[in-house]
Amino acid sequence: MTQDKQIKDFAKQLLKMSQDGSDVSAERVDGVLKALDKNPPRHHIALLKAYLKLVQREVAKSTAVVSHAGALSSDATEAIAAELSAKYGRAISTVTREDSSLIAGLRVVVDCDVYDSSVSSALTSLQASLS
Amino acid sequence: MAIHPVIFAAAAGDEGNLLGQFGVEWPFLISQIISFCVVAFVLYRFAFKPVLSTIDERQTKIADGLKYAEDMKAKLEDAESQHKEIVQKASQEAQQIVNDARAVAEDKISQASQDAVSRAAEIISKAEQQIELDRKNMLDEARSEIARLVVATTSKVLSKELSEEDRNRFTESASSNLVDSSN
Repeated sequence: MTQDKQIKDFAKQLLKMSQDGSDVSAERVDGVLKALDKNPPRHHIALLKAYLKLVQREVAKSTAVVSHAGALSSDATEAIAAELSAKYGRAISTVTREDSSLIAGLRVVVDCDVYDSSVSSALTSLQASLS
Repeated sequence: MAIHPVIFAAAAGDEGNLLGQFGVEWPFLISQIISFCVVAFVLYRFAFKPVLSTIDERQTKIADGLKYAEDMKAKLEDAESQHKEIVQKASQEAQQIVNDARAVAEDKISQASQDAVSRAAEIISKAEQQIELDRKNMLDEARSEIARLVVATTSKVLSKELSEEDRNRFTESASSNLVDSSN
């Protein structure tokens, strides 16, 4: 077993300890980090990097980044979050960002999935179809 | 007319007296005959015979020379005829070679001409294909550029001309569509 493999397995174990059910808990992550700080293992930095990557991936799975041009009501945001939570079977929180390059409409990114209903994406599709 | 005494003596048959009257003395005559024979033999043996032998030898040489000349003449004629025959044969062979070379050259020229024609046709075909490909590429590039310009212009126009109210309405509509499409 190589050293990278050992670090990844250790990071996965830390991630499991950081989860409360299927969600990553901030308190548990804080506890894990404190424990690591008190008893730093070998390859401390590499382990923290691997742990950070796994946590980011898990957070991204439960976070929907909603980019929009124009005002987006909180009701619409909540409806999107509820819809996505129902679709993925886990609690999805939303993060909204104003993005004027979309011209109008919105784009939702959940982990690797993208839902784009913006004018800029429509124009991009139009350009692809004309080319 | 007076008769000569000698004739008169012969007519008279007095042979002994007649020879004596001519001054012929038998012993002397015999000795002269013997001397003559000896001289004749000596001359024949030591003068005439070598001369005749030399003459015969020279005649033989002349005859051999003439014969040699005749032979040489015949050989020369044979050589000339052979020479003429060889020259004629060589001329025929040379003519044949020239004809063959001309035929080969004509074949080569014909083949080269055909190759040039086929090569030219191939080059023309490739050039036409390249022209067609370039035309398609140019059209594709023009289409892409036009599409890019249309989209860029539309984006700018929409960004400037779209009111805030329209933008909000579109965003809300997109949100509703997203929720509805998931259902």
